Amino acid sequence: MATAFTPYSYIQCPCSDITLTDRRSGGSPTTSEPDGDDHAFDPRAPRSSFSLYPLEYLMYCEDCHQIRCPRCVAEEIVTYYCPNCLFEVPSSNLKSEGNRCNRSCFQCPVCIGPLAITSVETKPDPNLLAAPDNSATPLAGPYALTCSYCLWTSTEVGIQFDKHNGIHAQLAKLRNGGTTRLTAKERKERRKDPSYKGQPPPTDSQDLDHEAQFANLKAFYQGQLADPNAADAGLALLGDLGFSSPTSLSRIMSIYTGGGLLHDKKAKARLGAMREALDPDEGLLVASLDESAAIAKLRSEGLDGTASAAQRLGQAPNLVEPPLHGRERFLDSLRPVPHLLRTKRSKRCPVCRHIISKPESKVQTTRFRIRLVAGSYIPSISVRQLALSGGTGTGTSASGAAVPGAPLEPLKPAYFLLTFKNPIFETIKVTLGAPVTTPGRFASRVTVICPEFEVDANTDVWDEALKDNAERDREQRRRRGESISAGGGGINSANQLEVGKIWERGRNWVSIVVEVVPASLALAPGDPPLREDEDVLEIPMSVRVEWEAEMAGDEVGAAPSRSNSEAREKRELAYWCVLGLGRIRQR
Amino acid sequence: MSSRRPPRGEYIETDTGNKVARKATLVGTQNIMLGGKTVIQPDAIIRGDLVRTIHPSSQSGGNAAPQNNTAISIGRYCFLSRNCCLRPPGRLYKGAFTYMPLRMGDHVFIGAGSVVQAASIGSHVHIGAGSVIGEFAIIKDYVRILDGTVVPPNMVIPSFSIVAGQPARVIGEVPEGGHEAFELRDLYKTVGNNPQPAPH
Repeated sequence: MATAFTPYSYIQCPCSDITLTDRRSGGSPTTSEPDGDDHAFDPRAPRSSFSLYPLEYLMYCEDCHQIRCPRCVAEEIVTYYCPNCLFEVPSSNLKSEGNRCNRSCFQCPVCIGPLAITSVETKPDPNLLAAPDNSATPLAGPYALTCSYCLWTSTEVGIQFDKHNGIHAQLAKLRNGGTTRLTAKERKERRKDPSYKGQPPPTDSQDLDHEAQFANLKAFYQGQLADPNAADAGLALLGDLGFSSPTSLSRIMSIYTGGGLLHDKKAKARLGAMREALDPDEGLLVASLDESAAIAKLRSEGLDGTASAAQRLGQAPNLVEPPLHGRERFLDSLRPVPHLLRTKRSKRCPVCRHIISKPESKVQTTRFRIRLVAGSYIPSISVRQLALSGGTGTGTSASGAAVPGAPLEPLKPAYFLLTFKNPIFETIKVTLGAPVTTPGRFASRVTVICPEFEVDANTDVWDEALKDNAERDREQRRRRGESISAGGGGINSANQLEVGKIWERGRNWVSIVVEVVPASLALAPGDPPLREDEDVLEIPMSVRVEWEAEMAGDEVGAAPSRSNSEAREKRELAYWCVLGLGRIRQR
Repeated sequence: MSSRRPPRGEYIETDTGNKVARKATLVGTQNIMLGGKTVIQPDAIIRGDLVRTIHPSSQSGGNAAPQNNTAISIGRYCFLSRNCCLRPPGRLYKGAFTYMPLRMGDHVFIGAGSVVQAASIGSHVHIGAGSVIGEFAIIKDYVRILDGTVVPPNMVIPSFSIVAGQPARVIGEVPEGGHEAFELRDLYKTVGNNPQPAPH
């Protein structure tokens, strides 16, 4: 049926739990479990999917003693870098050059593979005797960008480069098809240059690209603002109040800068409305609504010649091509995409503003200066199905239950082994609570065989190396294996699954058993059909961890609620988690 | 404990802790460098014979060439699953075709049936089953490549990326708490001639 199901455990970040924040601010933390089932966490609630995370994704604030998730931490950017050339980009460049790599890092516009710079001219076969010794001239221009995944090359859109470096700058001057264009800087210089004065500027609106249009508009409006004689006498009275008049702007400015309004004779003289742009040289761009060319092209090339939505979205903001209509509709109007920059980010606790994660700023290093991950503070929970037969059949039930990831039989008890591993150097006391039946339409019965237990401290690594405990563990495990095999076909589970007894214990871990009786997924006539993943058996479980920690000196000021004078301090942490155990078989 | 180890196990265990399956295909073993504690499972193929033929610093002296003959170097605690293939990348260099060395860091997992032709793979990298790493790809540290990914040639994958798709694209970031999952010390202990059960 479905693919094999791997059990999982997700932990709820307290940031989304309104009841918890209320309780924390109100009552003392010792009076826990007050509300009972009223506040049992429902993993199927629509909000829940936003607050459940695997343990690896969670952080831990040492000052608030609380779990923090990717949604509630505040991020700060440490470094920008290009993911292709791995060069750091200073944030000042970012403002001027944009958020894309302006070296020679490009992605294929068709398949997003990386583009390599290759020589366009095919070299003569080196094996031919007639071929010149070309080892001295490795690559000769012109060059093109080539995708080695889908074999797209920039020559398909008519772009070739003279030099093999500085591709980004060269591309900015090239239009698809190979025609050159003026950059804003060149246009400005040309305007100043007297040798170009005589020539009329390009008047065809199709020649205006985004950049040129904006530059023209800006120059036009700046000229209007600066020109005191732009007064239009006919509109003098209206223009005085008009929004678009330069006088109203100067009037407002003079009010707030404290200049005398009444004595400003010049402002009176400068009555007049700003006029709008009238020709392309002033930045006017008439929308070309004639799409017959595009339709004709679609007729000749068909759908295969058009760009997909993903390809068009992947395109960088294109300052080069004419804007508005007909832009990037066809494959031959796509351009190489410069790589988007990536960031390294540090994370802060949203409550106390302490930094909880900070990577080294250098791009190539992978170390972290601060990395307070939840995995080193709260116990990890691993879930494994236990091959315990329910006590009836010998062969069939054992084989059915032993296959990991197989669907669970409805109304047949199944056993799961939860292993809690303690990461901290203190012994922790774990208290589990789970609702008797799972929330949702199909209520499965859940029994935690041993809801309260202690997990030994994560002792020094040397102890592990000395193998004292590990040896004992192995022996213990072997003994257990013998007892299981000695039981013969029908496993004598009565003495194993004793209520209140843990299943197995190791150096810093404890395994307990949870019994579930999956609900039947039979639908009454008229019921809505099964929703997606509604057959997954998920059990909510509240976990409370208590331990005694040494009072750290730097934490005294920020001690949460009770700061005893003793050296040791009692700590506790409670949170909800969700265990996904398996899919229930559908009839 | 009581009985002697069988004389011929499935794996050859070297002094430096490498566990090489007898059924693995290692070609050109003199050009393959193993850092130690590396597991090579049966039917894995390592093409050490595809050695570099042109050296960039040939004018500096031919005596440096013999030392530099490594085709594939593998760090510590790497795990090469069944049917995977390591192949040095090759290309035209100054008009002639040559292979270039493939370098791998520590704690690199290569899934079953994957073909790797990368130029370099950093440390703590997980490559899923059935994926293809194109020629001269550069994979940095702490990268997870999901099953069935096709990494195009010359692609650079920065650190802490989760990569999937055909062609590969970065689909996520490795979370801060996920660094320890790349450790392969425990996996190393579970294979060999006397494998130990995986710890909890």
